Amino acid sequence: MANEAHGRGEGAGLASNSLELSTSLERSVQTRIFKIIVIGDSNVGKTCLTFRFTGGSFPDKTEATIGVDFREKAVEIEGERIKVQVWDTAGQERFRKSMVEHYYRNVHAVVFVYDVTKMVSFENLKTWIQECNGHRVSASVPRVLVGNKCDLVDQIQVPSNMALKFADAHNMLLFETSAKDPKESQNVDSIFMCLACRLKAQKSLIYWNVEREDGKVRLNQEPDPKTNCPC
Amino acid sequence: MNLKKSRNFGESSMSLDGIGKQDAGDTKRKRKVAEITQALNATPVDVATLRRMAISEGGLMSHEIRRKVWPRLLNVPDESIPEKLDEVDRENNKDYNQVLLDVQRSLRRFPPGMPDEQRMGLQEELIDIILRVLQKNPQLHYYQGYHDIVVTFLLVLGERLATALVEKLSTHHLRDFMDPTMDNTKHILNYLMPIIERVNPEVYDFMQQAEVGTIFALSWLITWFGHVLSDFRHVVRLYDFFLACHPLMPIYFAAVIVLYREEEVLDCECDMAMMHHLLSQIPQDLPYETLISRAGDLFVQFPPSELAKGATRERAQQTAASTFTDFDLASAQQQPETVLRRRQREQKQQQKQHGSTLNPQSGTVSVIRPAARRLVRLAVMGITVALGAAALAVVNSALEWAPKLDLLFP
Repeated sequence: MANEAHGRGEGAGLASNSLELSTSLERSVQTRIFKIIVIGDSNVGKTCLTFRFTGGSFPDKTEATIGVDFREKAVEIEGERIKVQVWDTAGQERFRKSMVEHYYRNVHAVVFVYDVTKMVSFENLKTWIQECNGHRVSASVPRVLVGNKCDLVDQIQVPSNMALKFADAHNMLLFETSAKDPKESQNVDSIFMCLACRLKAQKSLIYWNVEREDGKVRLNQEPDPKTNCPC
Repeated sequence: MNLKKSRNFGESSMSLDGIGKQDAGDTKRKRKVAEITQALNATPVDVATLRRMAISEGGLMSHEIRRKVWPRLLNVPDESIPEKLDEVDRENNKDYNQVLLDVQRSLRRFPPGMPDEQRMGLQEELIDIILRVLQKNPQLHYYQGYHDIVVTFLLVLGERLATALVEKLSTHHLRDFMDPTMDNTKHILNYLMPIIERVNPEVYDFMQQAEVGTIFALSWLITWFGHVLSDFRHVVRLYDFFLACHPLMPIYFAAVIVLYREEEVLDCECDMAMMHHLLSQIPQDLPYETLISRAGDLFVQFPPSELAKGATRERAQQTAASTFTDFDLASAQQQPETVLRRRQREQKQQQKQHGSTLNPQSGTVSVIRPAARRLVRLAVMGITVALGAAALAVVNSALEWAPKLDLLFP
């Protein structure tokens, strides 16, 4: 994560220092950023999911998240290098209102997480959706639903078909996964990769370097012609 | 005072600059212990000296001393604490589930190598202390991070003393964090940027430009850094300091950490995510004693009243001197930023007139940079820090609200 950040800094410096850069070279150092926010009840495994995705492993001692944590991963989709920024949020209700607000701004996707072994965390999704809408997240922003902890097979309280119905009703993709089970780690990856694919296909994403170069926000207006993503 | 060894988790020692100074350190330490003992045995107990000891280099040095001094700093004498603890009704407590989840996940707060059984016993005590305080004070609301504070008290003091001290702390220092909403907490976080602005406008501007916000410091503030520091010795050293000072001191300390990392901040990409990431990862090797001294220094230079109060000097003079009132003020009104911007302009003009009299090289406070020359007294304070006088000044300001504390802490 950390060295990725440095790498990007150098790229930015290069681009802004040499005015003579050809357009093609300029394009090659540009990195798009996808900003994803992860929300859901306390202890459903938001931190573990983001760790699994950005770091590859399941952390053995996660603590309560206080406020908002940030993690980042560079991925490559169809030859394009993309930074996926994941904002991991606190589950306790009191943090939602005044604290997390700032981080809903300009999100490209929202990941709702519930715990398949806790019905109440599934029932509370309604409030999370309201919360999200309350922060004026546009309807066009893709949302996915993640049922976590499915390695605990004998404790499952939320049946898949119920979750699927809910996901359909709210126009979300559903993933059932386990951040803990190493066999499921690919599945965790596919959640974020799938989102990244969808986002890649969208046009209005900021080219980070361009933004930095002249201090203005410019949008990439070219729609991506090919979308051969897995989802 | 009997300083026998007993349950000691992560015992701290005085941090000294070099190995060659060890003997001098021992002497210093012994002298400090003697001074603390004398202050504790005085009638009435010499709380001012205890505050000074808790702030000055090395803090209170051992948990044995902390067990004697912390209750005095919070004005909860041991003899006033009942032997028997209240029963806890876990099932009927609205916060029980959240507390349970957070405590179960708080493994990292316990000393590495502690047997599981012992740790689990302490976790049960931790849950009980939290619920006991909450059920006795229904106006208080649990927040994630509160458990990080309580665990520190538990590990140092044991369940009985910890319960009494945490209750006092929760109804005073932590009161704003325990409101039904976090609006007041957010308000307190609003003090962070004005402090940074006053000391280093360049860092301030850069952070503002990145729109980094202040949430990176949220867990620092509401856990008194207990959530983010992995070495327990550092945590208790800071608690010595915070317990001896004004309730807003943690925000000054947060500012000092950001300012200490000035170069990293300015080298960071001017981007919210990257800067949030950088700042929220607190370095574990901070020079705590230096930073404590600086935080005290900044508190004296820019007391909360100055950050918060209205622009005109007349109004300032009308304000009561008690800085404890500042804490109340903080949750009530004003927009410090606007005020400070105006003040900044005023000061810049003053500097143009008097700039040559400043000598930023003098003194030890490296936060004084040419670009940040704000007040002549900054340089003066730099020198006093070297003499440890800033610590004294902080004590004095703590004493200003001490009478008020006596009213508040019956």
